[in-house]
Amino acid sequence: MLQKPRSRPRSSAQSEKDRDRGRDGDARGPRGHVAEEAPSTSRGPGGSQETPGASSQGARRAQASPSVGPRTQKQLELKVAELVQFLLVKDQKKIPIKRTDILKHVVGDYKDIFPDLLKLASERLQYVFGYKLVELEPKSNTYILVNTLEPVEEDAEVRGDQGTPTTGLLMIVLGLIFMKGNTIKETEVWDFLRRLGVYPTKKHLIFGDPKKLITEDFVKQRYLEYRRIPHTDPVDYEFQWGPRTHLETSKMKVLKFVAKVHNQDPKDWPAQYCEALADEENRARPEPSGPAPSS
Amino acid sequence: MQSSTRKMGIMTDVHRRFLQLLMTHGVLEEWEIKRLQKHCYRVHDRNATVEKLEDFINNINSVLESLYIEIKKGFTEDDGRPIYALVNLATTSISKMATDFAENELDLFRKALELIIDSETGFASSTNILNLVDQLKGKKMRKKEAEQVLQKFVQNKWLIEKEGEFTLHTRAILEMEQYIRETYPDAVKICNICHSLLIQGQSCETCGIKMHLPCVAKYFQSNSEPRCPHCNDYWPHDIPEVFNPEKEREAGTSKSNKKSLRSRQH
Repeated sequence: MLQKPRSRPRSSAQSEKDRDRGRDGDARGPRGHVAEEAPSTSRGPGGSQETPGASSQGARRAQASPSVGPRTQKQLELKVAELVQFLLVKDQKKIPIKRTDILKHVVGDYKDIFPDLLKLASERLQYVFGYKLVELEPKSNTYILVNTLEPVEEDAEVRGDQGTPTTGLLMIVLGLIFMKGNTIKETEVWDFLRRLGVYPTKKHLIFGDPKKLITEDFVKQRYLEYRRIPHTDPVDYEFQWGPRTHLETSKMKVLKFVAKVHNQDPKDWPAQYCEALADEENRARPEPSGPAPSS
Repeated sequence: MQSSTRKMGIMTDVHRRFLQLLMTHGVLEEWEIKRLQKHCYRVHDRNATVEKLEDFINNINSVLESLYIEIKKGFTEDDGRPIYALVNLATTSISKMATDFAENELDLFRKALELIIDSETGFASSTNILNLVDQLKGKKMRKKEAEQVLQKFVQNKWLIEKEGEFTLHTRAILEMEQYIRETYPDAVKICNICHSLLIQGQSCETCGIKMHLPCVAKYFQSNSEPRCPHCNDYWPHDIPEVFNPEKEREAGTSKSNKKSLRSRQH
Protein backbone atom coordinates (compact mmCIF):
# COMPACT_ATOMS: atom_id res chain seq x y z
CA MET A 1 0.00 0.00 0.00
CA LEU A 2 2.88 2.33 0.62
CA GLN A 3 3.67 2.84 -3.03
CA LYS A 4 5.77 5.83 -3.88
CA PRO A 5 3.83 8.25 -6.04
CA ARG A 6 5.83 9.80 -8.89
CA SER A 7 8.57 12.24 -7.85
CA ARG A 8 6.50 13.98 -5.19
CA PRO A 9 8.76 14.94 -2.32
CA ARG A 10 5.94 14.27 0.07
CA SER A 11 5.92 10.56 -0.69
CA SER A 12 8.71 9.29 1.52
CA ALA A 13 7.63 11.36 4.44
CA GLN A 14 4.03 10.29 4.01
CA SER A 15 5.05 6.72 4.57
CA GLU A 16 6.96 7.85 7.62
CA LYS A 17 3.88 9.54 8.93
CA ASP A 18 1.93 6.33 8.46
CA ARG A 19 4.54 4.46 10.41
CA ASP A 20 4.58 7.01 13.18
CA ARG A 21 0.89 7.32 13.46
CA GLY A 22 0.28 3.69 14.13
CA ARG A 23 -3.20 3.65 15.46
CA ASP A 24 -4.70 5.92 12.85
CA GLY A 25 -6.82 3.70 10.68
CA ASP A 26 -6.94 6.11 7.79
CA ALA A 27 -6.98 3.80 4.83
CA ARG A 28 -6.42 6.53 2.33
CA GLY A 29 -2.75 6.18 3.00
CA PRO A 30 -0.03 8.06 1.19
CA ARG A 31 -1.81 8.34 -2.08
CA GLY A 32 -4.65 10.41 -0.72
CA HIS A 33 -3.71 14.04 -1.03
CA VAL A 34 -3.34 15.68 2.30
CA ALA A 35 -5.51 18.31 0.76
CA GLU A 36 -8.55 16.09 0.80
CA GLU A 37 -8.61 16.29 4.54
CA ALA A 38 -7.85 19.96 4.47
CA PRO A 39 -8.43 21.60 7.80
CA SER A 40 -10.52 24.44 6.48
CA THR A 41 -13.60 23.19 8.28
CA SER A 42 -13.35 25.60 11.12
CA ARG A 43 -13.12 28.58 8.83
CA GLY A 44 -16.87 28.17 8.68
CA PRO A 45 -19.22 30.99 7.85
CA GLY A 46 -16.73 33.81 8.05
CA GLY A 47 -14.21 32.47 5.60
CA SER A 48 -14.07 33.61 2.03
CA GLN A 49 -11.71 30.81 1.16
CA GLU A 50 -14.41 28.40 0.05
CA THR A 51 -14.24 28.14 -3.71
CA PRO A 52 -16.90 26.68 -5.98
CA GLY A 53 -14.78 23.64 -6.65
CA ALA A 54 -13.76 23.07 -3.10
CA SER A 55 -17.30 22.99 -1.77
CA SER A 56 -17.83 19.50 -3.10
CA GLN A 57 -15.05 18.38 -0.84
CA GLY A 58 -16.62 20.21 2.06
CA ALA A 59 -18.52 17.15 3.14
CA ARG A 60 -15.42 15.03 3.25
CA ARG A 61 -13.53 17.72 5.09
CA ALA A 62 -16.21 18.09 7.73
CA GLN A 63 -15.56 14.55 8.79
CA ALA A 64 -12.00 15.42 9.60
CA SER A 65 -12.91 17.43 12.67
CA PRO A 66 -15.61 15.89 14.84
CA SER A 67 -16.81 18.09 17.62
CA VAL A 68 -16.55 15.36 20.23
CA GLY A 69 -14.46 12.32 20.75
CA PRO A 70 -10.80 11.67 20.28
CA ARG A 71 -9.09 13.23 17.32
CA THR A 72 -6.43 11.39 15.43
CA GLN A 73 -2.82 12.41 15.54
CA LYS A 74 -3.13 13.58 11.97
CA GLN A 75 -6.11 15.80 12.69
CA LEU A 76 -4.26 17.41 15.54
CA GLU A 77 -1.23 17.91 13.36
CA LEU A 78 -3.34 19.55 10.68
CA LYS A 79 -4.97 21.79 13.22
CA VAL A 80 -1.63 22.93 14.64
CA ALA A 81 -0.38 23.52 11.08
CA GLU A 82 -3.40 25.68 10.36
CA LEU A 83 -2.87 27.62 13.55
CA VAL A 84 0.80 28.23 12.79
CA GLN A 85 -0.02 29.49 9.32
CA PHE A 86 -2.78 31.70 10.63
CA LEU A 87 -0.49 33.30 13.19
CA LEU A 88 2.26 33.84 10.63
CA VAL A 89 -0.05 35.47 8.15
CA LYS A 90 -1.76 37.65 10.71
CA ASP A 91 1.50 38.81 12.20
CA GLN A 92 2.73 39.93 8.79
CA LYS A 93 0.34 42.84 9.04
CA LYS A 94 1.74 43.61 12.47
CA ILE A 95 -1.74 43.85 13.96
CA PRO A 96 -1.92 41.97 17.24
CA ILE A 97 -3.86 38.75 16.96
CA LYS A 98 -6.94 38.44 19.11
CA ARG A 99 -7.69 35.20 20.84
CA THR A 100 -11.31 35.46 19.70
CA ASP A 101 -10.16 35.59 16.08
CA ILE A 102 -8.01 32.53 16.58
CA LEU A 103 -10.91 30.65 18.10
CA LYS A 104 -13.30 31.75 15.41
CA HIS A 105 -11.21 31.27 12.30
CA VAL A 106 -8.98 28.35 13.15
CA VAL A 107 -9.71 26.46 16.34
CA GLY A 108 -13.48 26.06 16.01
CA ASP A 109 -14.49 22.64 17.24
CA TYR A 110 -11.17 22.07 18.89
CA LYS A 111 -11.89 24.74 21.46
CA ASP A 112 -11.57 22.32 24.33
CA ILE A 113 -7.92 21.76 23.62
CA PHE A 114 -7.12 25.32 22.66
CA PRO A 115 -4.38 25.79 25.27
CA ASP A 116 -2.60 22.68 24.05
CA LEU A 117 -2.96 23.69 20.41
CA LEU A 118 -1.58 27.11 21.17
CA LYS A 119 1.34 25.63 23.06
CA LEU A 120 2.15 23.25 20.22
CA ALA A 121 1.85 26.02 17.66
CA SER A 122 4.06 28.21 19.77
CA GLU A 123 6.73 25.51 19.97
CA ARG A 124 6.69 24.99 16.21
CA LEU A 125 6.89 28.72 15.56
CA GLN A 126 9.94 28.92 17.77
CA TYR A 127 11.70 25.81 16.52
CA VAL A 128 11.00 26.19 12.83
CA PHE A 129 10.86 29.93 12.27
CA GLY A 130 12.51 31.47 15.28
CA TYR A 131 9.41 33.41 16.30
CA LYS A 132 8.20 33.59 19.86
CA LEU A 133 4.45 33.81 20.43
CA VAL A 134 3.91 36.37 23.14
CA GLU A 135 0.89 37.86 24.79
CA LEU A 136 0.95 41.59 24.19
CA GLU A 137 0.09 42.44 27.74
CA PRO A 138 -0.83 40.08 30.54
CA LYS A 139 -4.49 39.04 30.28
CA SER A 140 -4.99 41.04 27.07
CA ASN A 141 -5.75 37.87 25.11
CA THR A 142 -3.96 39.31 22.13
CA TYR A 143 -0.73 37.97 20.76
CA ILE A 144 2.18 39.00 18.62
CA LEU A 145 5.18 37.19 17.23
CA VAL A 146 8.54 38.41 18.41
CA ASN A 147 11.59 37.59 16.35
CA THR A 148 14.23 35.77 18.34
CA LEU A 149 16.73 36.30 15.54
CA GLU A 150 18.45 39.66 15.52
CA PRO A 151 17.80 41.63 12.38
CA VAL A 152 20.96 42.33 10.46
CA GLU A 153 21.59 45.21 8.07
CA GLU A 154 22.26 42.92 5.14
CA ASP A 155 18.83 41.33 5.56
CA ALA A 156 17.46 44.31 3.71
CA GLU A 157 19.27 43.27 0.54
CA VAL A 158 17.73 39.83 0.42
CA ARG A 159 14.24 40.64 1.61
CA GLY A 160 11.29 40.31 -0.74
CA ASP A 161 9.10 43.00 0.68
CA GLN A 162 10.26 46.58 0.91
CA GLY A 163 11.01 45.61 4.46
CA THR A 164 9.65 48.61 6.13
CA PRO A 165 11.27 51.89 5.22
CA THR A 166 8.94 53.23 7.83
CA THR A 167 11.03 51.45 10.45
CA GLY A 168 13.51 54.32 10.22
CA LEU A 169 10.85 56.81 11.13
CA LEU A 170 9.60 54.60 13.92
CA MET A 171 13.08 54.28 15.39
CA ILE A 172 13.49 58.03 15.38
CA VAL A 173 10.21 58.55 17.20
CA LEU A 174 10.98 55.78 19.71
CA GLY A 175 14.36 57.39 20.32
CA LEU A 176 12.78 60.80 20.82
CA ILE A 177 10.28 59.44 23.31
CA PHE A 178 12.90 57.67 25.37
CA MET A 179 15.39 60.52 25.41
CA LYS A 180 12.67 62.93 26.51
CA GLY A 181 11.80 60.85 29.53
CA ASN A 182 9.45 58.22 28.07
CA THR A 183 6.72 60.60 27.09
CA ILE A 184 6.63 63.40 24.56
CA LYS A 185 4.03 65.82 23.22
CA GLU A 186 2.95 65.51 19.62
CA THR A 187 3.92 69.11 18.96
CA GLU A 188 7.47 68.35 20.08
CA VAL A 189 7.61 65.36 17.73
CA TRP A 190 6.73 67.47 14.72
CA ASP A 191 9.11 70.24 15.78
CA PHE A 192 11.88 67.68 15.62
CA LEU A 193 10.76 65.90 12.47
CA ARG A 194 10.37 69.15 10.59
CA ARG A 195 14.12 69.53 10.83
CA LEU A 196 14.42 66.24 8.95
CA GLY A 197 12.02 67.34 6.27
CA VAL A 198 9.11 65.35 7.60
CA TYR A 199 5.85 67.24 8.00
CA PRO A 200 2.45 66.18 9.27
CA THR A 201 0.62 67.76 6.40
CA LYS A 202 2.96 67.06 3.53
CA LYS A 203 3.29 63.82 1.59
CA HIS A 204 6.73 62.29 2.09
CA LEU A 205 8.62 60.48 -0.64
CA ILE A 206 9.50 57.51 1.51
CA PHE A 207 7.03 57.62 4.37
CA GLY A 208 3.95 58.64 2.44
CA ASP A 209 1.64 60.12 5.04
CA PRO A 210 3.82 60.65 8.13
CA LYS A 211 0.93 61.87 10.26
CA LYS A 212 -1.13 58.76 9.56
CA LEU A 213 1.92 56.56 10.07
CA ILE A 214 2.77 57.95 13.45
CA THR A 215 -0.66 58.64 14.91
CA GLU A 216 -2.54 55.70 13.41
CA ASP A 217 -0.49 52.88 11.88
CA PHE A 218 2.20 52.64 14.54
CA VAL A 219 -0.48 52.90 17.20
CA LYS A 220 -2.57 50.13 15.67
CA GLN A 221 0.52 47.99 15.49
CA ARG A 222 1.05 48.77 19.18
CA TYR A 223 4.45 50.30 18.74
CA LEU A 224 3.19 53.59 20.13
CA GLU A 225 0.61 54.81 22.58
CA TYR A 226 -1.13 58.01 21.55
CA ARG A 227 -3.21 59.77 24.18
CA ARG A 228 -4.94 63.07 24.33
CA ILE A 229 -3.62 65.41 26.99
CA PRO A 230 -6.63 66.67 28.94
CA HIS A 231 -7.30 70.37 29.32
CA THR A 232 -5.03 71.44 26.50
CA ASP A 233 -6.08 74.18 24.16
CA PRO A 234 -5.37 73.76 21.29
CA VAL A 235 -5.70 70.01 21.79
CA ASP A 236 -2.39 68.25 22.17
CA TYR A 237 -1.51 64.58 22.41
CA GLU A 238 1.31 62.65 23.92
CA PHE A 239 3.25 59.63 22.74
CA GLN A 240 4.70 56.79 24.72
CA TRP A 241 6.13 53.45 23.82
CA GLY A 242 3.50 50.82 23.10
CA PRO A 243 3.57 47.26 24.42
CA ARG A 244 5.00 45.86 21.20
CA THR A 245 8.01 48.12 21.43
CA HIS A 246 8.79 46.85 24.90
CA LEU A 247 8.61 43.30 23.60
CA GLU A 248 10.53 43.76 20.38
CA THR A 249 13.29 46.07 21.48
CA SER A 250 14.71 47.60 24.60
CA LYS A 251 15.75 50.93 26.07
CA MET A 252 19.38 49.96 25.70
CA LYS A 253 18.96 49.10 22.03
CA VAL A 254 17.18 52.36 21.34
CA LEU A 255 19.79 54.31 23.27
CA LYS A 256 22.51 52.66 21.23
CA PHE A 257 20.69 53.66 18.08
CA VAL A 258 20.42 57.27 19.20
CA ALA A 259 24.10 57.28 20.18
CA LYS A 260 25.08 55.89 16.81
CA VAL A 261 23.11 58.57 15.00
CA HIS A 262 24.97 61.24 16.96
CA ASN A 263 28.24 59.41 16.57
CA GLN A 264 28.59 59.27 20.33
CA ASP A 265 28.62 56.76 23.13
CA PRO A 266 25.47 55.73 25.04
CA LYS A 267 27.21 56.67 28.26
CA ASP A 268 27.23 60.28 27.11
CA TRP A 269 23.64 60.39 28.35
CA PRO A 270 24.10 59.21 31.92
CA ALA A 271 20.46 59.43 33.00
CA GLN A 272 19.18 57.48 30.05
CA TYR A 273 22.07 55.05 30.31
CA CYS A 274 21.20 54.26 33.93
CA GLU A 275 17.58 53.79 33.02
CA ALA A 276 18.52 51.49 30.15
CA LEU A 277 20.75 49.43 32.46
CA ALA A 278 17.94 49.03 34.97
CA ASP A 279 15.66 47.93 32.15
CA GLU A 280 18.22 45.32 31.07
CA GLU A 281 18.33 43.94 34.59
CA ASN A 282 14.55 43.67 34.69
CA ARG A 283 14.56 41.77 31.45
CA ALA A 284 17.17 39.36 32.67
CA ARG A 285 14.89 38.23 35.47
CA PRO A 286 12.85 35.11 34.63
CA GLU A 287 9.62 35.90 32.83
CA PRO A 288 6.20 34.61 33.86
CA SER A 289 4.96 31.59 31.87
CA GLY A 290 4.52 31.93 28.12
CA PRO A 291 1.54 32.42 25.88
CA ALA A 292 -0.75 29.68 27.17
CA PRO A 293 -3.88 31.45 28.33
CA SER A 294 -4.65 31.18 32.00
CA SER A 295 -8.46 31.39 31.77
CA MET B 1 26.32 17.50 11.29
CA GLN B 2 23.70 15.26 9.78
CA SER B 3 22.82 11.70 10.59
CA SER B 4 22.80 9.38 7.62
CA THR B 5 19.24 8.18 8.01
CA ARG B 6 17.54 11.46 8.69
CA LYS B 7 13.83 11.21 9.39
CA MET B 8 13.44 14.85 10.12
CA GLY B 9 16.01 17.55 9.62
CA ILE B 10 17.54 19.79 12.21
CA MET B 11 16.75 23.49 12.21
CA THR B 12 19.45 25.95 13.08
CA ASP B 13 19.37 29.72 13.01
CA VAL B 14 20.75 29.52 9.47
CA HIS B 15 17.60 27.71 8.39
CA ARG B 16 15.32 29.91 10.45
CA ARG B 17 16.64 33.14 9.05
CA PHE B 18 16.43 31.59 5.60
CA LEU B 19 12.78 30.74 6.12
CA GLN B 20 11.93 34.11 7.59
CA LEU B 21 13.43 35.94 4.65
CA LEU B 22 12.03 33.45 2.16
CA MET B 23 8.56 34.22 3.48
CA THR B 24 8.97 37.85 2.49
CA HIS B 25 9.07 36.74 -1.13
CA GLY B 26 6.20 35.24 -3.05
CA VAL B 27 8.60 33.44 -5.33
CA LEU B 28 12.37 33.44 -5.84
CA GLU B 29 14.64 32.70 -8.76
CA GLU B 30 17.41 30.22 -8.25
CA TRP B 31 20.20 32.75 -8.10
CA GLU B 32 18.21 34.76 -5.54
CA ILE B 33 17.65 31.77 -3.32
CA LYS B 34 21.33 30.84 -3.49
CA ARG B 35 22.24 34.37 -2.48
CA LEU B 36 19.77 34.17 0.38
CA GLN B 37 21.26 30.91 1.54
CA LYS B 38 24.78 32.34 1.48
CA HIS B 39 23.62 35.37 3.42
CA CYS B 40 22.17 33.22 6.18
CA TYR B 41 25.36 31.21 6.50
CA ARG B 42 27.36 34.42 6.68
CA VAL B 43 25.23 35.72 9.52
CA HIS B 44 25.14 32.60 11.65
CA ASP B 45 27.82 30.16 10.64
CA ARG B 46 30.53 31.93 8.77
CA ASN B 47 32.98 29.06 8.73
CA ALA B 48 30.65 26.29 7.69
CA THR B 49 30.54 25.03 4.14
CA VAL B 50 27.41 26.14 2.42
CA GLU B 51 25.36 23.01 1.91
CA LYS B 52 24.28 22.10 -1.60
CA LEU B 53 21.02 23.92 -2.25
CA GLU B 54 18.98 20.84 -2.99
CA ASP B 55 20.04 19.14 0.25
CA PHE B 56 19.59 22.33 2.20
CA ILE B 57 16.03 22.67 0.95
CA ASN B 58 15.21 19.00 1.44
CA ASN B 59 16.40 19.29 5.00
CA ILE B 60 14.12 22.22 5.66
CA ASN B 61 11.24 20.56 3.87
CA SER B 62 11.46 17.51 6.07
CA VAL B 63 10.89 19.81 9.04
CA LEU B 64 8.16 21.81 7.31
CA GLU B 65 6.30 18.69 6.44
CA SER B 66 4.42 18.43 9.71
CA LEU B 67 3.25 22.00 9.12
CA TYR B 68 1.94 21.12 5.67
CA ILE B 69 4.07 23.64 3.86
CA GLU B 70 6.97 23.07 1.54
CA ILE B 71 9.60 24.91 -0.47
CA LYS B 72 8.63 23.89 -3.94
CA LYS B 73 10.74 24.14 -7.07
CA GLY B 74 9.27 24.87 -10.43
CA PHE B 75 10.19 26.35 -13.80
CA THR B 76 8.85 29.40 -15.56
CA GLU B 77 6.71 28.28 -18.42
CA ASP B 78 8.09 30.67 -20.98
CA ASP B 79 11.82 30.33 -20.56
CA GLY B 80 12.44 27.51 -18.13
CA ARG B 81 14.07 29.43 -15.30
CA PRO B 82 14.09 27.51 -12.06
CA ILE B 83 12.10 29.24 -9.36
CA TYR B 84 11.14 28.49 -5.79
CA ALA B 85 8.11 29.28 -3.65
CA LEU B 86 6.93 28.46 -0.17
CA VAL B 87 3.75 26.55 -0.82
CA ASN B 88 0.83 25.60 1.37
CA LEU B 89 0.01 21.90 1.09
CA ALA B 90 -2.93 21.65 3.43
CA THR B 91 -5.60 23.57 1.63
CA THR B 92 -6.81 23.26 -1.90
CA SER B 93 -8.47 26.64 -2.27
CA ILE B 94 -6.74 29.90 -3.06
CA SER B 95 -6.52 30.64 0.61
CA LYS B 96 -3.11 32.26 0.56
CA MET B 97 -4.59 35.11 -1.41
CA ALA B 98 -7.57 35.33 0.89
CA THR B 99 -5.81 37.47 3.46
CA ASP B 100 -4.74 40.10 0.97
CA PHE B 101 -7.85 40.37 -1.16
CA ALA B 102 -11.55 41.01 -0.67
CA GLU B 103 -14.23 38.52 -1.62
CA ASN B 104 -15.03 40.16 -4.93
CA GLU B 105 -11.32 40.42 -5.78
CA LEU B 106 -10.82 36.74 -5.12
CA ASP B 107 -13.77 35.99 -7.31
CA LEU B 108 -12.29 38.11 -10.08
CA PHE B 109 -9.15 36.03 -9.81
CA ARG B 110 -11.17 32.85 -10.01
CA LYS B 111 -12.92 34.10 -13.14
CA ALA B 112 -9.60 35.05 -14.74
CA LEU B 113 -8.21 31.66 -13.75
CA GLU B 114 -11.08 29.87 -15.45
CA LEU B 115 -10.68 31.87 -18.64
CA ILE B 116 -6.95 31.16 -18.64
CA ILE B 117 -7.43 27.44 -18.17
CA ASP B 118 -10.06 27.24 -20.87
CA SER B 119 -8.07 29.24 -23.39
CA GLU B 120 -6.03 27.76 -26.18
CA THR B 121 -2.97 29.89 -25.56
CA GLY B 122 -3.05 30.02 -21.77
CA PHE B 123 -3.83 33.72 -21.91
CA ALA B 124 -7.07 35.54 -21.18
CA SER B 125 -7.67 38.97 -22.58
CA SER B 126 -8.27 41.90 -20.31
CA THR B 127 -11.56 42.58 -22.14
CA ASN B 128 -12.90 39.10 -21.55
CA ILE B 129 -12.02 39.18 -17.88
CA LEU B 130 -13.53 42.60 -17.35
CA ASN B 131 -16.75 41.56 -19.06
CA LEU B 132 -17.35 39.17 -16.19
CA VAL B 133 -17.28 41.90 -13.60
CA ASP B 134 -21.06 41.83 -13.18
CA GLN B 135 -21.01 38.21 -12.14
CA LEU B 136 -18.70 38.66 -9.20
CA LYS B 137 -19.62 37.65 -5.70
CA GLY B 138 -19.48 40.22 -2.97
CA LYS B 139 -19.44 43.96 -3.31
CA LYS B 140 -20.18 45.33 -6.78
CA MET B 141 -17.02 46.16 -8.72
CA ARG B 142 -16.73 48.55 -11.62
CA LYS B 143 -14.55 47.77 -14.63
CA LYS B 144 -12.14 50.56 -13.76
CA GLU B 145 -11.67 49.11 -10.31
CA ALA B 146 -11.28 45.64 -11.76
CA GLU B 147 -8.43 46.86 -13.95
CA GLN B 148 -6.62 48.02 -10.84
CA VAL B 149 -7.28 44.75 -9.08
CA LEU B 150 -5.77 42.90 -12.03
CA GLN B 151 -2.69 45.08 -11.68
CA LYS B 152 -2.56 44.22 -8.01
CA PHE B 153 -2.52 40.55 -8.97
CA VAL B 154 0.39 41.26 -11.30
CA GLN B 155 2.32 43.17 -8.65
CA ASN B 156 1.80 40.36 -6.16
CA LYS B 157 2.93 37.80 -8.73
CA TRP B 158 -0.29 35.89 -9.11
CA LEU B 159 -0.74 36.90 -12.74
CA ILE B 160 1.57 37.94 -15.54
CA GLU B 161 0.49 40.47 -18.12
CA LYS B 162 1.67 40.48 -21.71
CA GLU B 163 0.23 42.91 -24.20
CA GLY B 164 -3.13 43.25 -22.52
CA GLU B 165 -3.53 39.56 -21.85
CA PHE B 166 -3.12 37.70 -18.59
CA THR B 167 -1.74 34.32 -17.68
CA LEU B 168 -0.80 32.65 -14.42
CA HIS B 169 2.46 33.59 -12.75
CA THR B 170 4.62 30.58 -12.01
CA ARG B 171 4.00 31.28 -8.36
CA ALA B 172 0.28 30.74 -8.85
CA ILE B 173 0.97 27.55 -10.77
CA LEU B 174 3.18 26.24 -7.98
CA GLU B 175 0.72 27.18 -5.26
CA MET B 176 -2.45 26.16 -6.97
CA GLU B 177 -1.58 23.25 -9.21
CA GLN B 178 -3.28 20.78 -6.94
CA TYR B 179 -6.33 22.95 -6.55
CA ILE B 180 -6.58 23.57 -10.28
CA ARG B 181 -6.26 19.90 -11.18
CA GLU B 182 -8.94 18.96 -8.71
CA THR B 183 -11.30 21.78 -9.54
CA TYR B 184 -11.07 21.74 -13.31
CA PRO B 185 -10.20 18.12 -14.14
CA ASP B 186 -11.69 18.29 -17.61
CA ALA B 187 -10.35 21.63 -18.74
CA VAL B 188 -6.88 21.23 -17.32
CA LYS B 189 -3.95 20.66 -19.67
CA ILE B 190 -0.99 18.50 -18.76
CA CYS B 191 2.48 18.49 -20.27
CA ASN B 192 3.26 15.27 -22.09
CA ILE B 193 6.85 15.28 -20.88
CA CYS B 194 6.83 16.31 -17.22
CA HIS B 195 3.15 15.54 -16.48
CA SER B 196 2.69 18.78 -14.59
CA LEU B 197 0.01 21.36 -15.09
CA LEU B 198 0.39 23.24 -18.36
CA ILE B 199 -0.88 26.74 -18.95
CA GLN B 200 1.38 27.93 -21.77
CA GLY B 201 3.06 25.58 -24.19
CA GLN B 202 3.23 24.10 -27.66
CA SER B 203 0.79 21.56 -29.07
CA CYS B 204 1.10 18.88 -31.68
CA GLU B 205 -1.23 19.86 -34.48
CA THR B 206 -1.97 16.26 -35.32
CA CYS B 207 -2.68 14.54 -32.06
CA GLY B 208 -3.09 17.52 -29.74
CA ILE B 209 -0.63 16.63 -26.99
CA LYS B 210 0.97 19.59 -25.31
CA MET B 211 4.42 20.36 -23.96
CA HIS B 212 5.90 23.18 -21.91
CA LEU B 213 8.35 25.34 -23.82
CA PRO B 214 11.26 24.39 -21.53
CA CYS B 215 10.22 20.75 -21.81
CA VAL B 216 10.25 21.08 -25.60
CA ALA B 217 13.68 22.67 -25.36
CA LYS B 218 15.09 19.81 -23.31
CA TYR B 219 13.36 17.03 -25.20
CA PHE B 220 14.38 18.18 -28.65
CA GLN B 221 17.77 19.47 -27.65
CA SER B 222 20.18 19.03 -30.57
CA ASN B 223 17.60 17.10 -32.53
CA SER B 224 17.54 18.27 -36.11
CA GLU B 225 14.26 16.51 -36.91
CA PRO B 226 11.97 17.00 -33.96
CA ARG B 227 8.99 14.66 -33.97
CA CYS B 228 5.97 14.44 -31.70
CA PRO B 229 6.68 11.92 -28.93
CA HIS B 230 3.13 10.66 -29.16
CA CYS B 231 2.18 10.39 -32.85
CA ASN B 232 5.63 10.84 -34.40
CA ASP B 233 4.47 13.55 -36.74
CA TYR B 234 6.86 16.35 -37.56
CA TRP B 235 6.93 18.95 -34.76
CA PRO B 236 5.98 22.21 -36.49
CA HIS B 237 7.04 24.82 -33.94
CA ASP B 238 10.26 26.69 -33.20
CA ILE B 239 12.33 24.81 -30.69
CA PRO B 240 13.36 27.17 -27.89
CA GLU B 241 16.77 27.07 -26.25
CA VAL B 242 17.40 25.33 -22.99
CA PHE B 243 17.73 27.83 -20.17
CA ASN B 244 21.37 28.43 -19.38
CA PRO B 245 21.99 30.39 -16.19
CA GLU B 246 25.56 31.22 -17.17
CA LYS B 247 24.60 32.71 -20.51
CA GLU B 248 21.83 34.57 -18.77
CA ARG B 249 24.14 36.30 -16.37
CA GLU B 250 26.63 37.25 -19.07
CA ALA B 251 24.04 38.73 -21.33
CA GLY B 252 22.57 40.63 -18.42
CA THR B 253 19.17 40.47 -20.04
CA SER B 254 16.25 41.06 -17.75
CA LYS B 255 13.24 38.79 -17.98
CA SER B 256 11.07 41.48 -19.47
CA ASN B 257 13.43 41.92 -22.39
CA LYS B 258 13.26 38.30 -23.40
CA LYS B 259 11.45 37.79 -26.64
CA SER B 260 8.29 35.88 -26.10
CA LEU B 261 8.21 32.62 -27.98
CA ARG B 262 4.46 32.64 -28.12
CA SER B 263 3.31 33.55 -31.60
CA ARG B 264 1.98 37.06 -31.53
CA GLN B 265 -1.52 37.93 -32.53
CA HIS B 266 -0.63 41.24 -34.16
